[in-house]
Amino acid sequence: MSYVFAHFRVVGALLVREMSTRFGSKPGGYIWALLDPAAHILLMTFIFRAIARAPALGTSFALFFATGYIAFQFYQAMTSYLNSAVRANKALLSYPNVAPIDAVIARFVLQVGTTTLVALIVLGTIVATMRVETSLHWPAILEAVAMACVCGLGVAMVNSVLFLRYPLYEQVFNIANRPLFLISGVFFLPDSIPAPYHDLVLLNPLVHIIMGFRQGFYPEYRAIGLDMEYLYGFAFLTLFAGMLVFTFSSKTLRNE
Amino acid sequence: MIRFEQATKYARTKGIKKPIIEDASLTMNRGKSVGLLGRNGAGKSTLLRLIAGAIKLDRGRIIRRGKISWPLGFQGSFQGSMTGEQNVRFVARIYGVDTEQLIDYVEDFAELGPFFKAPVGTYSSGMKARLAFGLSMGVNFDYYLVDEITAVGDANFKKKCQAVFETKLRDSDLIMVSHSTSTIRTYCDCGVVLEKGKLTYYEDVEDAIRAHDKNMKEG
Repeated sequence: MSYVFAHFRVVGALLVREMSTRFGSKPGGYIWALLDPAAHILLMTFIFRAIARAPALGTSFALFFATGYIAFQFYQAMTSYLNSAVRANKALLSYPNVAPIDAVIARFVLQVGTTTLVALIVLGTIVATMRVETSLHWPAILEAVAMACVCGLGVAMVNSVLFLRYPLYEQVFNIANRPLFLISGVFFLPDSIPAPYHDLVLLNPLVHIIMGFRQGFYPEYRAIGLDMEYLYGFAFLTLFAGMLVFTFSSKTLRNE
Repeated sequence: MIRFEQATKYARTKGIKKPIIEDASLTMNRGKSVGLLGRNGAGKSTLLRLIAGAIKLDRGRIIRRGKISWPLGFQGSFQGSMTGEQNVRFVARIYGVDTEQLIDYVEDFAELGPFFKAPVGTYSSGMKARLAFGLSMGVNFDYYLVDEITAVGDANFKKKCQAVFETKLRDSDLIMVSHSTSTIRTYCDCGVVLEKGKLTYYEDVEDAIRAHDKNMKEG
């Protein structure tokens, strides 16, 4: 039992440390972790609103874009921050009671909290300033967020090991990940894609995450093709793979 | 007590596999400070990290009874953008010791004045070393690991370090790596010689030094 408490203590210490070092000595400190993505989303939303005439769903372009982008961020911001969790804290592994998994858990908790706050700020602002009353369906929202986090954690755990072992893979992963934003249905609805490509688009689990998330905001949205079983399967399989790779690569992680 | 049971560890670099220790069994009892001797590149520092538990064995096991320190004066964990105080607080948290008590101790010991609350990145190397040494002395361990003792600070500070270190050694033991046989002689009661993957334990540190010198002559 004391062993478990020791891990909690270490994770807590790492959490505080990450918060104070992520933005260095910039004035405002961790506030930037919230302001930066919030400002980014709001800005993008206004740009897209100017370009597009009507959103594919509902009447507010802001809400349509922000729901897509935030659901996407729950995965994307997670992996990009967690991929380097172990590497960035390498020096701390000289303390025998700091384990690689502690660094991952600390960043995971911090990132879930951060994106959640960003979501509350951005979506709260948009929903509050909309003329039409929106009714939220929380179970759908939370389910999509949970799956995005599980996916992100699993992918990042696999990457933590593979990035250290195969530097080339890191390059390939980053290149392959860049168009993810465009093909995951952030600013289009996968339902509107014609037949042969429709199935292809639906292979991407992020598409399902975003569809599920949007269902929580648009009760009229039917989300044709949304497959929660596929999403659950993918998410937990990645997490399982991540745990497996992580467990059997403690030497790589400790950089021996 | 620290006991090695058929402990095996290989060093691997670019396809070359070299044994650090092979099937080593050894018991180091509490109450005796141990000097680790061995030639350059024999793996003394790796052995120290194995004892600390920072790296793992390939085979066998190490049984540790008692709290073992990180290498004395370790600075690797210091984050430049965090203040000395924040860095100390982090170590206090991961070791589960009283945060405020440790901060008070290190602040008083390291003599950094107002710099204690300034980012470590602004420190001189001497200041960093003082902070690190103070931190090592602030947490109570049963075993202190020392990899080449290095003197820090001016003459007065050195004297203070010496005094504190000696009080610590009344209740704690040392496991020390040093190339200087006179340092080993001063601090250690018994010795372990690491040669070609073998660990040999000597009850008397003089015997260990003699065995080590003999190894060195043989080349």
